[in-house]
Amino acid sequence: MRLYIARQLTQLVVVILGISLLAFAILHVLGDPVLLLLPQNAGKAEFERYRHLLGLDRPLYVQYWKFVSGAVCGDFGKSWYADTPAFKLVLERMPATIYLTLAGLVVALLIALPLGLLAALKRHSWIDTLCTALAVAGQATPLFWLGIMLIIVFAVRLKALPASGYGTWQNFVMPAFCLGAALAPITMRLVRSGVIEVMNMEFIKTARAKGLAEGRVVVKHAFRNACIPVITVLGLQFGQLLGGAVVTETVFAWPGVATLTVDSIRNQDFPVVQCAVVLLALIIVSINFVVDMVVGYIDPRIRVGG
Amino acid sequence: MRRILAVSFALLFVVGLGLVPPASAQTREETLIYSLQSDIDNWDPPNSVLREAIILGYHVFDHLAVRDLKTRKVMPNLATSWKAVDDTTWEVKLRQGVKFHDGTPFTAKDVKATFDRVLDPTKKMTARGNHAKIKTVEIVDDYTVRFKTDGPYPLFVERLTAQVMQSDKVIREKGHEWMQENPVGTGPYKLAKWSRKQEHLLVRNDDYWGAKPAFKYVRVRIIPEQATQIAELLSGGVDIIKAVPPDQMDVINKSSQARTSTSPILRTAFIQLDQAGRSGKNPFQDRRVRLAANLAVDIDSIIKHVINGLGDRTSTTINPMAFGYDPSVKPYKQDLAQAKKLLAEAGFPNGLEVGLLGTGPTVEPGLIQTTEAIVADLAKAGIRTKQRFVGEVGPFTNLVRDNKADPMFTWSWGYYSVFDADAILFDVMTCDQPYSYYCNKALDDLVIQGRSTLDARKRAEIYAKAQRLIHDDAAYLFKWGLRGVWGISNRIEYDAPKDEIDRMFIVTSRKK
Repeated sequence: MRLYIARQLTQLVVVILGISLLAFAILHVLGDPVLLLLPQNAGKAEFERYRHLLGLDRPLYVQYWKFVSGAVCGDFGKSWYADTPAFKLVLERMPATIYLTLAGLVVALLIALPLGLLAALKRHSWIDTLCTALAVAGQATPLFWLGIMLIIVFAVRLKALPASGYGTWQNFVMPAFCLGAALAPITMRLVRSGVIEVMNMEFIKTARAKGLAEGRVVVKHAFRNACIPVITVLGLQFGQLLGGAVVTETVFAWPGVATLTVDSIRNQDFPVVQCAVVLLALIIVSINFVVDMVVGYIDPRIRVGG
Repeated sequence: MRRILAVSFALLFVVGLGLVPPASAQTREETLIYSLQSDIDNWDPPNSVLREAIILGYHVFDHLAVRDLKTRKVMPNLATSWKAVDDTTWEVKLRQGVKFHDGTPFTAKDVKATFDRVLDPTKKMTARGNHAKIKTVEIVDDYTVRFKTDGPYPLFVERLTAQVMQSDKVIREKGHEWMQENPVGTGPYKLAKWSRKQEHLLVRNDDYWGAKPAFKYVRVRIIPEQATQIAELLSGGVDIIKAVPPDQMDVINKSSQARTSTSPILRTAFIQLDQAGRSGKNPFQDRRVRLAANLAVDIDSIIKHVINGLGDRTSTTINPMAFGYDPSVKPYKQDLAQAKKLLAEAGFPNGLEVGLLGTGPTVEPGLIQTTEAIVADLAKAGIRTKQRFVGEVGPFTNLVRDNKADPMFTWSWGYYSVFDADAILFDVMTCDQPYSYYCNKALDDLVIQGRSTLDARKRAEIYAKAQRLIHDDAAYLFKWGLRGVWGISNRIEYDAPKDEIDRMFIVTSRKK
């Protein structure tokens, strides 16, 4: 187990380093950030002066080394626009995004688990067909459109919820549903197929033969085993969820890190982008690490074999 | 699995507890809610290029001079008067009895400290270029300042509306980094709370030297998505939004909640034709081809049908609101036969094919649709375009600067809120400027003359000549001056501002 963790951690460092290099390279390909920082009529001398102040006139490897050596100590430099440490800016926005993705995850599970289970148990019935139809529709609905529709119905027409903003539980309802609805279909399909597969296994027959009540068979034996692929996929989907957060945060004016990253890319605010990318990568890699651990806990075979 | 669920719920619950709603001592009655699409990065206006920074700066800070929205003239503010002592010296008298939000009185020391800070080349201040013509600032007495300029500087007074007054004491004692988040001004509102990319809460400055604002609180909410902004306006969540797309005006006007207000703004749109040959040898280096392009397009009908009349036709690049605008120069009328004839004379009897670089509608609403309409008209005369599209403003501007634009490219210019012909002529129409694909020594001479005298009448004559020249030479493909659309709640009185700077301190409640 210790070896397993050590290997995972080494991988983590390599992945983060690779991602930071990639982000650095892409940012520099995008063009000259000073152009956006200064008024267009600033003049050549002013552009040169600014480039020097930001250290952009130094060779690329020097710039990259400065970034890496700082980042290791948690110093990602100051945002060029805000003149505030990039780390602080990203950290300030992190909670909003984490709450949103967690809430989205919970909503997705609340929709996917019962429906998936139901569809599996009533296979080929109208319930199954309905669930499949819902899943297809859900998968095909653009997040953006769903968000706006929710706003029009619940905020403009019914005046039941605030259209956008952050701070109260009412603000959570629509964004969480929106993000959850995006993740629910694939999870539901996985629960369904997982349960169907498990229900045909020998040990279910054994459980039934023991005379266990059907409910207990499903919950205690089938469901637990069907969860393994679901958890793995949820871990992998987390990156996807962050992608969805960009859209959801934009539509609902949610002050999260996803929109901060997109804004900073647009502004070519290198320190903030690099900090956000590294931290987000760290989160995604850590989550996958945790998922591996959880799956190992649920299914001892993986732990031993892995 | 149950455990995971339970943990998630517990987490969410804890999180929910942490999200106590903002202390809402203020009632909706006494609060005005204004919405912006993107937030400022800092509360230090001379360290930002964003329009949002200018707008918010007007609420917490004061300027030496301000523009009267009705007459568009520059009027006294923290300065009570100004005069040119000689060609390179301006003397400014300051208002007495004004206090910063921290209680210190406003004096000549603050004016000097403000400009010294902005002009210091070792400091990272983006506004430096705006004031580079100022050499030194001298204190004559507590309420008199003298500015020495590098040569005659006719835009001096205009530029006074673009520089907020900061406190000498704050600059010395608190320093640059502190000032990024803590504005100390003399303005009608104080900043009470800033949640980055989310909201600013402004509270009325009851010691303000000028007229007191009607609303005690102003909340500035950051809502990036236009559709959400409109939904908030219609559901009463915000009172003022800007940059409403033309096709959404009906939705707002038909609701009983809000209305739209439009106003010409200081931005001119046009298509640059590469007369200077910066993109390489191209047909537009011939005046006849540029003229043919201008004659090929029915701009009036495009304004009317494509952008719902939200544009004011211009005969050159000069905006009708700018000083020096000459209404006697008339725009071209569509004449396809003449256009074809000119092309034939220039050696293109069968028409020609040329590249057109375009960008997204970030600053110019409906840009993609209007460009399509122009392309269709050009084709009728035989100018066929090969279109290239770079959506993001940054990379697009990079291409233009680096001589990599096509012989035609869409462009618009916002004058940096300086209501003067020089603010576009110098940057976008003289030789060797990064964003000018036009080079004509005769025009350069006029532009230099215009910025070398303080005599307004002489300057007006010079700019009239310049417009005649630009028009007759068909320098670019001329389009229109833009109009902005604001959405305004029916609970308040407010009109779209001509300089695009929203002022919450002039908003009043609507009488019921």
